[in-house]
Amino acid sequence: MTQDQTNLLQGTLDMMILKALALDHMHGLGISRRIEQITKGTFQVKPGSLFPALHRMEEEGWLVSSWGESENNRRAKYYRLTKAGRRQLESETQRWGRISLAIARALEAS
Amino acid sequence: MLSRMTNFWRNIFAKEKTDRDLDEEVRSYYESLAEEKMRQGLSSEEARHSARLELGGIEQVKEEVRDVRTGAWLDSLLQDLRFGARMLRKNPGFSAIAVLTLALGIGANTAIFSAVHGVLLSPLPYAQPDRLVMIMESNPRYAHVWVSYPNFQDWQRNAQSFLQMAAFMQQGYDLSNPGTPEHVDGSAVTAGFFSTLGVRLALGREFSAQEDQYGGARALIISDRLWKNRFAQNPQVLGKPATLDGVDCFIVGVLPPGFRFWSDADVYTPLGQGDALIINPRGSHDGIGAIARLRPQVSISQAKAEMSTIQNALDRLYPDDNRDLGTDVMPLKRELVGDVSGILVMLLGAVGLVLLIACANVANLFLARSVARRREFGIRAALGANRGRLIRQLITESVLLSLAGGALGVLIAIPAVKSLLAAFPDSLPRNANIGVNAPVLLFTLGVSIVVGIFFGLAPALKSWNADFQAPLKDGGRGSTSPHSRAQSSLVVVQMALTLVLLLSAGLLFRTIRQLSEVDPGFDTQHIITFKVGVSRSLMKTVASTRIAYQQLIGRIRDIPGVQAADFTDTVPLSGQGGTIPFWIDSQRPASLQAAPRLVGFLTGPDYFRTMGIPLLRGRSFTPHDTVQSPCVVVIDSTFSRMYFPGSDPLGRTITFGFASPTGPCRIIGVARHVRHWALDDPTSSTQNQMYFPLAQDPDQWVLVGYPYLTVVLRTPLESATVMPAIKAAVYGAGSDQPVYDVRTMQNIVSESMSPQRFPMILLSVFAALALLLASVGLYGVISYAVTQRTHEIGIRMALGAEKKDVFRLVVGGGLRLAVTGVALGGITAPILTRVLPSFAHLLYGVSASDPLTFAAVSSILVLVALLACYIPARRAMKVHPMISLRYE
Repeated sequence: MTQDQTNLLQGTLDMMILKALALDHMHGLGISRRIEQITKGTFQVKPGSLFPALHRMEEEGWLVSSWGESENNRRAKYYRLTKAGRRQLESETQRWGRISLAIARALEAS
Repeated sequence: MLSRMTNFWRNIFAKEKTDRDLDEEVRSYYESLAEEKMRQGLSSEEARHSARLELGGIEQVKEEVRDVRTGAWLDSLLQDLRFGARMLRKNPGFSAIAVLTLALGIGANTAIFSAVHGVLLSPLPYAQPDRLVMIMESNPRYAHVWVSYPNFQDWQRNAQSFLQMAAFMQQGYDLSNPGTPEHVDGSAVTAGFFSTLGVRLALGREFSAQEDQYGGARALIISDRLWKNRFAQNPQVLGKPATLDGVDCFIVGVLPPGFRFWSDADVYTPLGQGDALIINPRGSHDGIGAIARLRPQVSISQAKAEMSTIQNALDRLYPDDNRDLGTDVMPLKRELVGDVSGILVMLLGAVGLVLLIACANVANLFLARSVARRREFGIRAALGANRGRLIRQLITESVLLSLAGGALGVLIAIPAVKSLLAAFPDSLPRNANIGVNAPVLLFTLGVSIVVGIFFGLAPALKSWNADFQAPLKDGGRGSTSPHSRAQSSLVVVQMALTLVLLLSAGLLFRTIRQLSEVDPGFDTQHIITFKVGVSRSLMKTVASTRIAYQQLIGRIRDIPGVQAADFTDTVPLSGQGGTIPFWIDSQRPASLQAAPRLVGFLTGPDYFRTMGIPLLRGRSFTPHDTVQSPCVVVIDSTFSRMYFPGSDPLGRTITFGFASPTGPCRIIGVARHVRHWALDDPTSSTQNQMYFPLAQDPDQWVLVGYPYLTVVLRTPLESATVMPAIKAAVYGAGSDQPVYDVRTMQNIVSESMSPQRFPMILLSVFAALALLLASVGLYGVISYAVTQRTHEIGIRMALGAEKKDVFRLVVGGGLRLAVTGVALGGITAPILTRVLPSFAHLLYGVSASDPLTFAAVSSILVLVALLACYIPARRAMKVHPMISLRYE
């Protein structure tokens, strides 16, 4: 039970990060701000979960990182989606669609 | 996959750069966050504080990233290993003792396992060896007898269960050209023998069907060794001549290096050209064995059933020779390995006990040390290390130790195996196959890891029952801890296991003593035995052969210092000898297979005097007993008792033999029984003995039998002193006459005890090792207890206890453990010896529950235990009450 929950949450965070990076490359703080923005503040990603997720996803080959200049001239690490990352986003989106539809139906039924 | 590997590489080997990157990334995040906050209107101070709160600790974030990286487990393992290695280096004494203890245990196991692997586990070096079988015949008296060659040929023609069938016969040959004359071991084999085994010759071919018959071309196959030694590895050796037993042969094949079957034969000849007297009669079962390769899908039991149908038909066809004759089909490996498997498994068990004792010692060391390290673990636990991680740390350390012990053990095992094989060259079959090789090393590695986990886990779990915080609260000094109970039970088990080993070694030791005191029925002192390959030029006819042998023994008797000498075809206790069917007077049995058997000796008239066998009744042979005079025999006292109870055997007659029986021969004397098969004279083997004069050996047997004769010679001189004169006397009649197999009777007697001596010496070594380890273990536990109880002892002394009371307290504690162990071992040992028939079979003249042996080894054990307690007890007596109390 606990395991499923973590998986679900982790999957959700991964999807958020992928979605946030879908348009443009971004650094860590940018990603967490972007997630806050697109979920209208529902999700607040703490660095303690953001960084492990970023590094794990980079190892999976979904993201690549490079050093660049931030908006206020600070050296920052930027993340960008790879082809595999885009494919992952698509399949995550589809999976999420199926799950939320199923849950919605289940809740309506009862 | 590739990216994963590069990640792995980067995380493990470019660790510093990855860490720097991470640090910079997190730091930049933090700075950006703070700036963002400042833009929202916070002061620089407040912004930084708030950013730090949101971040939740830079180090923690970095740690969490490290944990998700590929290879994180390896990273922490390396960390554990580094830390473990540091801990072990910090305590060099502790580590050295633990590694040495384990090395002894693991090394002994590696050595014995290499024998078990080489002899029992590894497949025979032939193609698909599990499809190879051996076929033997059986009769109502013996489960296995050698095969009759005509029967074998009928099987070969009729049996469908086999792809191929072949026969072999061990033989010795005198090789006189090229090179110096030499006696070589060899084998006569049928055409198709090597292809049945699936062995390809290195050069040439095996025998053809035309060569494998009477009058065929004198083809010869040689071993790789002979090819190297005699033919300088000449690749053009095929077709080259060689002289074997005075007959010119030519080489048709060379075997691959290392080929071995049954014995280390150097030459192979076609069996079909063998002696007509041995291979032609259907009733002859004289050293020929049959092997076969099963057809695919055919099981051994199916083959057995088919063979017995064929044999039944043959029995009906040839009732005179074959009646009551059966067959048996069995895996070839079992036949080649023989009956050592029980002994080897027993030795492996014994050496396993030694390893257990070694493990208990190291476990005790770990227990003692885990007390000392309780504070360290308490602190680490307080700083956030979880329990699993700490246990992993302990196991890593113990496995590190046991691997070091295993590596050192292998270094011990390699020379141990070598010297073992050198000391007992004939005690194990397939011994060329024994060595510390890859499978053995794998076994050692496995044992080391299991052992490491075993003795690491026990103390780890034990100490984890304790509260982590407790050691931080008090000064780390407690009253009697639960550890000491665990340590005590380990010592009791060690003592019990040691007793079992001591007892089994002791029983075998007593067995050897008993065997050495056995009177074998003849005088074993001052006898030398050897064989002579009499020149074939002197053996052109039967008459010339008889004369050549007469002259040879005459020349030997003339040598100064030789008191008596004569020929025999069978030397007692040497492993030689076969049994012959016979009947008394005219009571010819219906079937030869059902006839009683005797152990026959073909000897010259001086044999009894030379061997010191007393004649109890009648007369011995004289030079007047020849082929021209009536046939006579001498029987032994057992024969007389078994077949002539209450009557006089002298004047009765015996007829003996298979194919063309000899006799009836008149019994002219009764000699004392000689222990022939072994000193313990197993009643399961044929006991009744008969002597037949060499001079009366029928003409047709002379050329076949004489080359196998052994000279026995009585002289007070040393073998080395007298042998040159003997060789000179032998060579005087022809330089192509090798003298070989020179042995003293004392050697033969001593070697006859090797079935007992081999396990006895090994068990003694193991028992000594166990005793050493167990006493070190006891010493460790007692001296640890003394250290722990210094305070208590101080109080006792302050309250008026005398030094001898303290001494009694300490030694008594140790003694209690030893005696409990002895009792436990005393209960276990008889059960073990009873369920190990291969051990019980070795005993002679001493019962498995011999009270004397038990008393002796128990006192040894208790005495050594006392010694082990003495040193700590001395230290306890020196405790000064004031000093020990001052630490309060």
